[in-house]
Parts: sequence; C-alpha cells; structure tokens
Amino acid sequence: MKKILKNKLVLTTLIIVIIAGLSILTLTLSGKSNKPVTDRSRTDEMSFGPLDYPTLESNEELRRADEMKKQAETMPIYGNWRNFTVKDGLPDDKAYTVRIDGDRNRVLVGTHHGLAVYEDGKWTNYTTEDGLAHNGIVSIDICAPSGDVWIGTLGGLNCWSGGKFETFNQFNSGMPNDLVYNVFCYGKDVWVATGGGAGQYDTYTKEWQIFTEQNAPMHEPWTYACAAGDGKVWIAAWGGGIIEYNMRTRHFRDYIDPDGFMEIDLLPDDGVIHDITTAASWADSILWVATYFGMSRYDGKNWKGYFQHDSGLASDFINFVRAEGPVVFICTDLGLSTFNGETWVTYLNDEENKNGKALVMQGLEVLEEIPMSPGYSHNFVIGCDAEDDVIWLATSKGVSRGERIR
Amino acid sequence: MKSSVKTILILILILILPMVIVKGQELPKNYGNIPDELVAFDKFQKAYKYHFLEPMGFYGAGRELPPPKDIKEVRLGFLGPLEGSIIMPLGYQMLHGAELAIEEANAKGGYKGTPFKLMVHNDFGLWGAAANEVVKMDDEGIWAWIGTIDDINSHVAIRATLKCEITVINPGDPDPTYTETNIPWVLRNVPDDRQSSYALVHHIYVKNNHERVAVIRTNGRYGRVGTMHFQRAAVRVGHPVIIEERFDDRDTTFIPQLERIKRINPDAILIWGNANSSGMIVKEIRELGMTQPIFGSDRMVNPEFFEYAGEYAEDVVTTCQYNPDSDNPTLKAFQKNFYEKYGEEPITFAAHAYDAINMIIDAIHEVGLNRVFIRDVLTDLETFKDWEGVTGKFIWDGAFNNLRPIYMAKVNDGKFEFSPAPVFEKSDVIYKKVKMEY
Repeated sequence: MKKILKNKLVLTTLIIVIIAGLSILTLTLSGKSNKPVTDRSRTDEMSFGPLDYPTLESNEELRRADEMKKQAETMPIYGNWRNFTVKDGLPDDKAYTVRIDGDRNRVLVGTHHGLAVYEDGKWTNYTTEDGLAHNGIVSIDICAPSGDVWIGTLGGLNCWSGGKFETFNQFNSGMPNDLVYNVFCYGKDVWVATGGGAGQYDTYTKEWQIFTEQNAPMHEPWTYACAAGDGKVWIAAWGGGIIEYNMRTRHFRDYIDPDGFMEIDLLPDDGVIHDITTAASWADSILWVATYFGMSRYDGKNWKGYFQHDSGLASDFINFVRAEGPVVFICTDLGLSTFNGETWVTYLNDEENKNGKALVMQGLEVLEEIPMSPGYSHNFVIGCDAEDDVIWLATSKGVSRGERIR
Repeated sequence: MKSSVKTILILILILILPMVIVKGQELPKNYGNIPDELVAFDKFQKAYKYHFLEPMGFYGAGRELPPPKDIKEVRLGFLGPLEGSIIMPLGYQMLHGAELAIEEANAKGGYKGTPFKLMVHNDFGLWGAAANEVVKMDDEGIWAWIGTIDDINSHVAIRATLKCEITVINPGDPDPTYTETNIPWVLRNVPDDRQSSYALVHHIYVKNNHERVAVIRTNGRYGRVGTMHFQRAAVRVGHPVIIEERFDDRDTTFIPQLERIKRINPDAILIWGNANSSGMIVKEIRELGMTQPIFGSDRMVNPEFFEYAGEYAEDVVTTCQYNPDSDNPTLKAFQKNFYEKYGEEPITFAAHAYDAINMIIDAIHEVGLNRVFIRDVLTDLETFKDWEGVTGKFIWDGAFNNLRPIYMAKVNDGKFEFSPAPVFEKSDVIYKKVKMEY
C-alpha cells in the first residue's frame, strides 16, 4: 500500500478525486439551498419553540411568528370541495369562467360548449340554439342596476335579460371585435376587452365607445381584460401593460414595465412586471395585475411584483385574478393562490387531481399544510368567483364549489 | 505500479472530471441567441428575472381525450393574407408551400389511410379578424395550424389559439415579440428579426466599421418591431442610429425621406420594408446620387425586389433565414416540385410553410390525433430538435423559436449570394462611448 501511495500518479489521482468529490458535494448542497420552493409538497419546519434562555433575537422571532399566525388566521381557507363535470350535467368539462349570481341564488358557468346555470341543485344548459352568439363562453358579469347577465363569447357578446339572449357583434353594433375575452359591468356601463380594442357600452343611451391605439395610449388595440373601481377603468392591454381611464376626466395613462425588455424583469417593484398583461382586478384600493410572468400589486403609489420563485404564488402563468375586499384570488396553470398582501393560501392537487392540500405561506415559508380530500377539479384554474363563504372555480376539467372551512 | 491499477485510476479520473465540468456548465445560455455583448443591462446590473430560459409547459386537461372515430379527413389549419392585403403574394407563397406538403403526405397514405385536408382562412378583414378565423378553425376541428405573416394578425390570432388550445407553427412572422408572450401553444420555425438584427449590426458596425447609419423603415409594426433590436444593438456597440425615416407600405416614392437622409450624409443606409418598397427605395437612393452601402431586411430576398431595384440592386446586403442555394437534396426536390406546380420559385415563406406542415404531420404520426399530445411532442425540445426540413435544422429555444444560424445575402451579378452570418464576440469594455456626430 505504501509503495502504491508513494507513486506520484496515484497520489495526484487521489488528490484530484478528493477535490472533485468535495466540489460535487459543495455544488450539490449549494444547488439545494438556492433552489426555489417550486415543490410545495414540502412543509418547511418552523422552530417557534422556546429557547433555554430568552434573547433579543428569540423574543423578536417569537413576536414575528405570532404576527404571522395572526395574519394567516385572517385569510379565508376553503375546502369541502364538490366537483362537477359533464357527468353531472355540464355541457363541457372545460370551463372558462364562473360567476355567482347571489341575488338569484344561482351560479353561471361558461364552458367551451355552452352556458351552464346551477340552480336548486340542478344544471340547465344553454347553447347557440337558445340564442347565444357562440358556444364558447369565456366571460360573464352581472349588471348590478338591472340584474342583466352579460356574456362574452368567442363569437360575440350576449345580454341575457328577461329570459332572452340579445346578441351584439361587429355587424349589428359598435362592438370592436367579436371575440370577447372579458366583460365587466360598472354602473350602467358594460366594458368589453376584445382583440380589436376595448369597448364601453352605455346601457342607457345604447351607444358604444371604442378605445384603440387611435385614441388611447396603446401601440395596438389588443385588450384582454377590464376592471373598474373608484371612478377608474383599467384595461389589460396585451403588450401594452395596463391602461388607466379616468371616467371623470376622460383621460388615459398607461403603466408599462419600465425596463422595456420582454425577456427580463430588471427590477420587480419598479412597475408592472411585464407588458403582456392578462387580467386585472381592483378592490380595497388595490389594483392587482396578472401576467404570464407573475403578478403585480399597485396601491396607487407603489408597485410590488410577485413570482413563483419568491412568493407563495402557485405559478407565474396567471389566467385570471379576482379581488374581493382585501383578498385576491389568483387562477394559475398550476393551482389557485389567494393572497392578502401578507399571507398566501395556495391550493394544489396531486398529479391525478384526486386529493389536494392548502398551503398557508408567508413568502416561501410554509406555515401550515392542510390536506384536502377530494381536491378541486383540476390544477389548471381558469376562472373563479367568491361570495360570502363559498368559492366556485372554473377549471380545465370541470367546475368546483368550495366552502370556507376557516 | 501495476498497469491494472493505473488503468483503474485513469478510468476514475475520466469518470469524475466530466462530472465537475458538467456541473460548472449549468448556467443557462442567453435567451434568443442574444450575444453576451448585447444582453440588456448586463454590463451594469443583473436582471431580477430572466424569462424564456425554460420551455413553457401546458398543465391543463386534454391528454385523456381519445382519438376521434370515423373521421373522413385530418384537418390542419392555414391562416394567411390571401385577400385584400398588400402582402398577398407572400400569403400565396405560404399557402402553396403548405398545399405541396399536404399533397405529398396524402400521396404517402395520409394519416393511417385518412387524407389530410388544409382548412384555408384569410387573415385580412375587419379588426381582429384573425382571432375570429382561429375560432372558426376550432369549430372546424383542426388539429394544429400554421400562419400568418403580418405581425398584428399573428398576435391577434395567438391569443385565440391559447383560448382554444390549438398548436400553431408560424412560418412567416419574424416579430421577436410574437413568441415572447409565453403562450405554450405557439411555435415559430422561421428565425426571427433578433437574429437578423444581430447579424446586420455585426456586419455593418463591426465588420465594415460604419458608424453613422440611417434607417428608413415601414411605418407599420413590421418596421417598428423589426428594427427594435437593430437599434438597441447599435446603441450597445456605441453607434446609435443617426436618423430614422418612415414610409407607408403603399408609397411609391420616398424622395422627401431620402433627401433628409442625404443632408445628414450617413456612412450606410438600412431599409426595413417589403420587397417592392425596398426595391423602389434602393433605386431612388442611387438616382439621388447617394453612393452609401445599402443594407436591408430579409424580405428583400424575393424576385420582386429585383423588379423594382433593377441594376441598382448590386451590392445590397441583407439576411436570409436559410440558404436557398444549399445542396440539401430535399430542398432541391422541393424547389423543383414547387416550380413545376406553381410556375414560380419558392421563397422563404413557401419553404418554411412546407416545413411547418411537415413537422405537424410528423407529430401526428408520432402521437396520434390529440391536440395536447401534438403540442407536447412538438415542444419537447428533443423530438424535433435538429429535425431536418428543406430550410435546414430546427433548434427550439425556451420560447419555441428556431435558433438555427441564419445567412447573409449579398447581391452579386444580379442575384443573391449566401454566406453564414457572423457571430458577436464578447468585449470586456464596460461602456462604449456613444458617438453622435451629426
């Protein structure tokens, strides 16, 4: 053995092997520590237990933990999922949108093959044969003053009133385009976001006003969503960030990603995180903006960006957001996240979409994991609505109803 | 020492050292072949997040759907400018390339005996018509589609394809932002204007040492977004474009814009527009007595350019997304068959449409009739990586762009000659002093 060790080649080889081994070990460990928490199956352990003696640091940690728990307790957590598919009476499993019509005690669901209405425990379906402009129903809203239901489809806009469907399209009205990605009722006005611009329909005067690159600060008239509140309307313009329209002054302003590059986000909190915006919602004086790259929050003064790798967000690919009071519901391609500015609750199913769990998180830190059986219909969540203690989800493979369990 | 011990030790070294090296190569490459020298803000600050480095997945339902029974045809969609558009000739080139691919596939038996059928749609009409046409294609039951050329129509259409969940391969729109929308259903087989811009900036500023370049471009989105990365790259190499003039696609004279450029006396002129406009501009530049070297966008590689530029086309340099003079036998056969059938030479739009349809057909043969599986196999970055078409290899990046190297094209004796495009090398200079001498 000594002879072998005295050989220079052997000695050099052994040193290299040891160095290589240590390098691999170091790199592997550092890789693990830097890896973002994308696998939410892991519940991070938190050490709130008392120390042998109190220190300033331990007291601060206990105080922080107490605050985190209080924050988490204010977040609604939904469970007791009941799932619906074609077998239960839906016209299609692929659901784009859901709207709770609390005044009529019913729920409206838009699917790829028609409108479904859940009332008294039964589904009733409507298609083009009943007067819909197209069977692909992608957005629904209810006009508060009249109670009329406005339905955005892949081939026109419908107003469902008095049991009849009235159709609006490019040929019979001032609609900007027939593909209505989003419809939003604000007072007496109905706003639509289409591939040919945004439209404002005054239900009193029956007149349309169209907003495109000709009269609003957008490069192209591609709009994807509308939101409103506090006398302002926000239009999610595909490639144009968020366009704000002040209803009182009739002035526009736009919010775009300040770095100006599609392939990066230079700073997460310098503005909307990307110009490709997909949805917006306003509540509690906060504007929430969804993109396929993460989410932004705007309080009227400061922007804050959230990504999957630095927050409790289920995924950066966000199909839809709806804010209700202080809580925003975020529909992503990998699950549903809810957030109140401090605490996240992210709902995830297993790979088979049979069972699920809710993760209560602050940042990337998982405070609690609540198992759910069954989970909701499918992790690919396209739409949602919440009212009182009930939440409804439209997913890629069915519709789900959840109850507030805490 | 025994030779067997030596051999074992050497083997251990061979096994372990590559592991260390591989671990050290984990850093991702720049998105979109962006040269290290041109990565945004890179010499000043790292970005908080870099997009498009990982391919987008589709996590929705649909893979469980069984293939349809008793279908009489396998429908594929086509969207292009076929009526009412000034780029109709390009649309028909694209359509003919697609039709030829379908015809050849059906001659080989279609899909398990069922013929393929192209469902043809025009993209030019009322505002947002392209989106409505995609919805119609969805109603028709297509399995995937190709199209289109115009930037605006392409963008409008991909939002609809996302809603309807149908894969599209774009063979004609080089707008870099087209795939930067992060839609997991959108691929593009024609190399984009990023690649053209980087090649032109290198050729103009680095290789030929020009410093004061004028740009004249179409006023539409094709001109605005097409020159975007040229302008940005020019700034980073220290020589911002000194003047930008614009024209309408239907203009037939450009004298006012060219006179303004002439007064500034640039080193070189870059034209970004359709083949006919570019040809007319080249002619008027020379007729005004301007002798500067002329560069242009890849739409110049079209017989129509020579019709308008005539003898003045000589020495004009542009880029081309593939090498039409390649000795690739499948390209030669395609060019021959295309000419025999349609009586004209295929240009890039026809060649890439032919490849796009063939790629979709290969995907269907691989996974059957399921829209999600077709998407999965086309985007897995492996199955179709290095897939060889008539235009060359296909190398997808994280945003499903084709990163295949492109070519420079220079007019010599009345025809384009092609050569590999140059590649940037990184410089250690942190800041290049901008020269604005005009």
